[in-house]
Amino acid sequence: MSLANAVNKVIFGEILKGLALTFGHLFHKPITQQYPHTKPKLPDGYRGIMSLLRYDDGTERCVGCALCEIACPSGVIKVVSAEEPDRPLNRYAKTYTFDVTRCVFCGFCVDACPVDALAMTKEFEWASENKRTLFLDKEQLLANGDRCFPVRGKKPAYLGSIEGDWYLDKVKNKHYPTHAETD
Amino acid sequence: MSGVGQIVVILLTIGVVMGTVLIHVAYLTLAERKVLSWMQDRMGPMEVGPRGLLQPIADGIKLLLKEDIVPSGANKIIFTLAPILSLIPALIGFAVIPWGDGKVELFGLEFRPFITDLNIGILYLLALSSVGAYGILLGGWASNSKYSLLGGLRSAAQVISYELALGMSLVGVLLMAGSLSLVKISQAQAGGFWHWYAFALPFPQIVALVLYTISAVAETNRLPFDLPEAESELVAGFFTEYSGMRFAFFFLAEYGNMILVSCIATVVFLGGWHAPFPFLDFVPGIVWFLLKVYAFLFFFIWIRGTLPRLRYDQLMTFGWKVMIPLVLANILITSIAAYFWMN
Repeated sequence: MSLANAVNKVIFGEILKGLALTFGHLFHKPITQQYPHTKPKLPDGYRGIMSLLRYDDGTERCVGCALCEIACPSGVIKVVSAEEPDRPLNRYAKTYTFDVTRCVFCGFCVDACPVDALAMTKEFEWASENKRTLFLDKEQLLANGDRCFPVRGKKPAYLGSIEGDWYLDKVKNKHYPTHAETD
Repeated sequence: MSGVGQIVVILLTIGVVMGTVLIHVAYLTLAERKVLSWMQDRMGPMEVGPRGLLQPIADGIKLLLKEDIVPSGANKIIFTLAPILSLIPALIGFAVIPWGDGKVELFGLEFRPFITDLNIGILYLLALSSVGAYGILLGGWASNSKYSLLGGLRSAAQVISYELALGMSLVGVLLMAGSLSLVKISQAQAGGFWHWYAFALPFPQIVALVLYTISAVAETNRLPFDLPEAESELVAGFFTEYSGMRFAFFFLAEYGNMILVSCIATVVFLGGWHAPFPFLDFVPGIVWFLLKVYAFLFFFIWIRGTLPRLRYDQLMTFGWKVMIPLVLANILITSIAAYFWMN
C-alpha cells in the first residue's frame, strides 16, 4: 500500500486524475445560454412585470378595492378608487400606480385580488436608464395586460346585467331590497 | 552574399518571426479563454466575429484606447521602464529558436529558418528569462501600492527559485548534445522519436522534461504557480496599478514567455522540427515544430483549468526541496551515463 502511495506520488497520480477529468469535459456540450440571441424558456407561473386585465368586452376588471395595496409587502401599489359616474354601486380604480423599481415580484397582489384583475406577465427585459419609466400608471399596466394576455375572460352575467340594473333602480329610489324580494 | 543582402535577409527574417510571434500571442489569449471555457462546459467569447475569432483584435484596440494612468507617488521612470523590461526579453528570446532545416533561395538571397545561430543559445535564453524577472520586480516596486509590492516580491522569490531548476534541467541535454547551440541540438535529434533527447540513449531525459515543464509553468507565473498575480489575495499582483498599453505589454510578455518556453522545450527535448517517424519526413519541419509547441501550450492551459493555486510556502518548499535535488540527481546520472557511453 505504501509503495502504491509512493508511486502515486511520484507520477502525480491525483493531478493526472484531475487532468483526465478536465480533458473529458472538453467534449461536453456547453450549457451556456447565448442570452440575447436565444431567449430562455420560462416556466409556467413565472413572475415577471405586473399587468392589469380587462374583460372580453374591453371593460376593466379592477374594482378599486385596494386589497392589492394592503397585500403588497413593499408598498409599491397606490390605488385611488372612485364610483363609476351614475352607477353608485360600481367602483373602479381612478388611478392605479405601480412602482416597479421597488417591486419584489412576490405575486401577493395577484393572490389578494378578489376579481382576478391583476396578473404577472412573463416579461423581464424592463431594464432602463431612466427610473421614471419604471413608475407605471394604469394605462401602461392595462397595455401590458393587452399585450401579454390577448385571450380575455368573459364578463360575468351579474355585472351590468338586467339584475344589476334592477338593483341600481332600487338604489336610486332610496329603496334597498329586502330579503324576501331577493329570494 | 553581399553585406546589404545579408542585412535584408536578417531584417526580413526578424519581421517574419516577430509577426508570427505576435499573432500567436494574440490568438493564444483567445485559445486560452476558449479551452478553459470548454473545460468548464462554457462557450467562451462568442460575440466578436464568427464564434469569437476576432476577440483578440477587439481586446487590443480596447487596451490601446484606454487611459494611461500613473499612480501618484509612483516612480515614473521605472514605472514606464518595467513593462518594456518585461516584454523585450520575451520577444528577443525568439532570435535563437530554429524552426526548420536547410536553406531557401529567393531572388539570390539565402534565407535560413532561424534569425541567428548563437553558439551559446541556451545561455542566452536563460539570461533573458532572468532579465524578464526585473520587469516584474520593478513594476511591483515602482507602482507605490502594497499589492504591487507584494506581487513583485513573491515573483522575485519564485523566479529565482525556479530559474535554478529550469536551467539545470537543461544541463542533461547539453551533456548529451555537447553543444549550447539550439540548431546543433535540434540537428542531433534527427531520425525518429527515439533519438529525441526526451527518449534518447544513453539516459532518457524524460524526468528532466517533466521538471522543465513544472519550472516553466512557475517561471511564466502561470497557474498553479501564479502567486505574483494571485487575484484572490493581491488585486492583480505586480500589475495592479497598470492600465492601457503598459498593461497590455505585461500581458503580451506573459504569453510571449509561454510561447518561448514551449519553443525551448520543443527544441531541446522533443526534437525540434523532426518528425516522430522517419517515413513522415515529407511533412515540412515547421508543421511538426508548431504541432509540438501547440501541444505544450495546450498543456499550459490544461493545467490551468485543472489545478488550484499553491500556497506560498508550498511553492518554495517544492522548488527547493523537491525540484532542485531531482534536477541535480538527473545531472549526476546523465553525466555518468554519458561518460560510459562515450568511452
